[in-house]
Amino acid sequence: MLTLFVRRVVRLVVVLVGVTLVTFAILHVSGDPVALMMPEAPEADRAVLRVSMGFNDPLAVQFGRFVGNIARGDFGNSFFHREPALPLVLARMPTTLLLTGLAMGLSLLLAIPIGILSAIRRNSAFDHGATLVVFLGTSMPVFWTGIMLILLFAVQLRVLPVSGWESWAALVLPGFTLATFSTPLLLRIVRSSMLEVINLDYVRTARAKGVSEWFVICRHALINAALPLVTVAGLQFGLLLGGAIITETVFAVPGLGRLIVGAIRQLDFPIVQAGVFVIALMVVLVNFAVDMLYVYLNPQIRVR
Amino acid sequence: MKRWALLALVLTLTVLMLPAALPAQPKDTLTVALVSHAPTLDPHMHFERVGILVNINMFDSLLHRNPKLEFEPSIATSWKALTDTQWEFKIRKGVKFHNGDTLTPADVKYSFDRVIDQTKKSPQYGNVRAIKEVKVIDAETVHIITDKPFPLLLERLVFFPIVPKKHVETVGDQAFGATSPVGTGPWKFVEWKRDQLIRLEAFDQHWRGKPAFKTLIFRAVPEVATMVAEIKTGGVDLIREVSPDIQPELKTHPVAYISSTPILRVHQIELDMRVPPFDKKAVRQAANYAIDKQTIIQKLMAGLGRQVATVVQPLAFGFDADIKPYPFDKKKAKELLAQAGFPNGVDITLHSSSVANRPQFEALCEMLTEVGIRATPKMWDPGPAWNKFSQAEGKGTHGIYGTWGNYSVFDADAVLHPLYHSEPGGWYGKWYTRVEGLDRLIDEARSTVDQPRRKRTYTQIQQMIREEAPSVFLWTQYDTLAISKKVQYAARPDEWLWLFDAKPAAAR
Repeated sequence: MLTLFVRRVVRLVVVLVGVTLVTFAILHVSGDPVALMMPEAPEADRAVLRVSMGFNDPLAVQFGRFVGNIARGDFGNSFFHREPALPLVLARMPTTLLLTGLAMGLSLLLAIPIGILSAIRRNSAFDHGATLVVFLGTSMPVFWTGIMLILLFAVQLRVLPVSGWESWAALVLPGFTLATFSTPLLLRIVRSSMLEVINLDYVRTARAKGVSEWFVICRHALINAALPLVTVAGLQFGLLLGGAIITETVFAVPGLGRLIVGAIRQLDFPIVQAGVFVIALMVVLVNFAVDMLYVYLNPQIRVR
Repeated sequence: MKRWALLALVLTLTVLMLPAALPAQPKDTLTVALVSHAPTLDPHMHFERVGILVNINMFDSLLHRNPKLEFEPSIATSWKALTDTQWEFKIRKGVKFHNGDTLTPADVKYSFDRVIDQTKKSPQYGNVRAIKEVKVIDAETVHIITDKPFPLLLERLVFFPIVPKKHVETVGDQAFGATSPVGTGPWKFVEWKRDQLIRLEAFDQHWRGKPAFKTLIFRAVPEVATMVAEIKTGGVDLIREVSPDIQPELKTHPVAYISSTPILRVHQIELDMRVPPFDKKAVRQAANYAIDKQTIIQKLMAGLGRQVATVVQPLAFGFDADIKPYPFDKKKAKELLAQAGFPNGVDITLHSSSVANRPQFEALCEMLTEVGIRATPKMWDPGPAWNKFSQAEGKGTHGIYGTWGNYSVFDADAVLHPLYHSEPGGWYGKWYTRVEGLDRLIDEARSTVDQPRRKRTYTQIQQMIREEAPSVFLWTQYDTLAISKKVQYAARPDEWLWLFDAKPAAAR
């Protein structure tokens, strides 16, 4: 148990260092931020700025300085916001996490009952209907779904605001849009893993004991079918953070994704680095939690 | 199954009966949607259109420009050139900052000093670097001294906001840009939720009087379809850059109307004159003859464009209406191409990051191909890859299609120098353009404040580039706003949203 924990923590550190290195490398071959910071200025003036910002030092020196600063929690000042990058990034986190969490919650809320029902009533009209919806959900790109939902609920029916983040009502459409992206896969996973266990001996034994059908499904079958679901949900979380960028753009949600995409366009290195670092940390932590959940769900892992 | 159907029905009905969640818009609030927010509210520390549009409603500059593009007094009540390099400005008395302080000439001097000071890294430094010094003469007089004659000075002063010295020094640059911007403009700062909204409130003591709308909100709405949905449902009152394909619908819409005006943005294909085939004048001219500008304007731009003979536009100082655009003449184009040694045509690649103008770009390449200049369009996303490509020397390219907005400076210099001067620091001209004697003429026109003389030089330049064709000259475009019928406002040629002029529409 302890070795498992330590192994995972080491992996976490390795991933973060790797992500930092890759981000740094990509950014530094991607162009000259000084030209964007000083439009209309002669080259001589830009050169002065370049030197003062340390862009002329060897890349290794720049990377060393960068890592040293991160270790002290300092990602540097945003070139354009003229403020420390990390607080700017952290200020957006709650919004993006709320949106992602909402979508994930909604997905599980839909996927688990529908998946179970599909498995129990395999090949029924309900099962086929669910499969059809899954195909629809996976085939529609998030931005398109989002715009269609806006047109229906905000423009035609006028029951929800078009965009923004000012009221609880404004959360509904983006949350649902993002959920359409993650629900189908989760639903398929629930269905197939339920199908795997539902005819196994121990389930039949439980039934034979006269345990109520609900209890059999929830306590015996679902717990054992949950392992793949947890794995995929953990991975989906990272994908959702990516999908959130598009959803944030369509619904004008002031989240982390928009901050990072804007920063990439302007080559605002500190924001991109802080943002990617924080997102990587989130993904790694969630998967870390998933690993720990395994231990709870499957005692066999504990033994190894 | 029936239970599920019932549940679905109940859910749908519940959603439909939710209390209308649309925020009721109070009549004294004006909401504007911009694609994004500038990274700071400090008017000196960014150079983005979306930021300028917000700043001008919070800050005043020395001069103002009316919708007819004439200079008007603002913080400066009068101005005159004392010599070629020295200007005198009289400062308006009793102007109040939002925090109650009175504006003094010291604030004016401080505002310039913080941009000219290179250690502050202002992106606007390049605009005013010709200013050597700002001197406070007395309680109402300021002198601006330039290192050489600087004919664009007044143009640059239209957006050069005056900030309160004492306040900025007390709170610091960072807080001034993020949480406590203070100006003298019609609206004062209330709150900024980044990438969400900027809320401003009418300033009672503004020297022009109180603006018509008590609250002014700038929302950040990056997606065009969303913006259009917002204006249709009354979620916002004003959106910019309405593209031609959605104009017909908004023109006849019950809650919104359209306002269009020609603006200072010119389209062109800059040609790489260093390499074949565009090292030959005849090929460059052939490309100009090959384009049916009028058809593109009519079919792809809803008629909202005007052909131009060069890159100098009708709205800019120095424009010469006697110089006519290249006519559309396929036969002539083919002849010129053959003369230049390409009777069987030639293959080229053109690049663009102007995603909003993709249809035009593709049509241009098609028209060039028809006369034998077989052009492959390469469309870029305006992100880092494009920045790197366009910051490199542009080797292996034949031309770039793009637009130039003159930085809203209504003077030929603001397009000629960056596009064609070979001095480093400008746009593509420093790599692409090789026209004998052009540098000298551009320098000559910017080194005097004698306007009639400048005008003559610009005529000469326009004749020269029309003949030499360093670009394929195309058209100038319009800006189109969609505005709520509750609000009275009109698009301006400088693309400003000067919302002091916005009024609630008379009740219908």
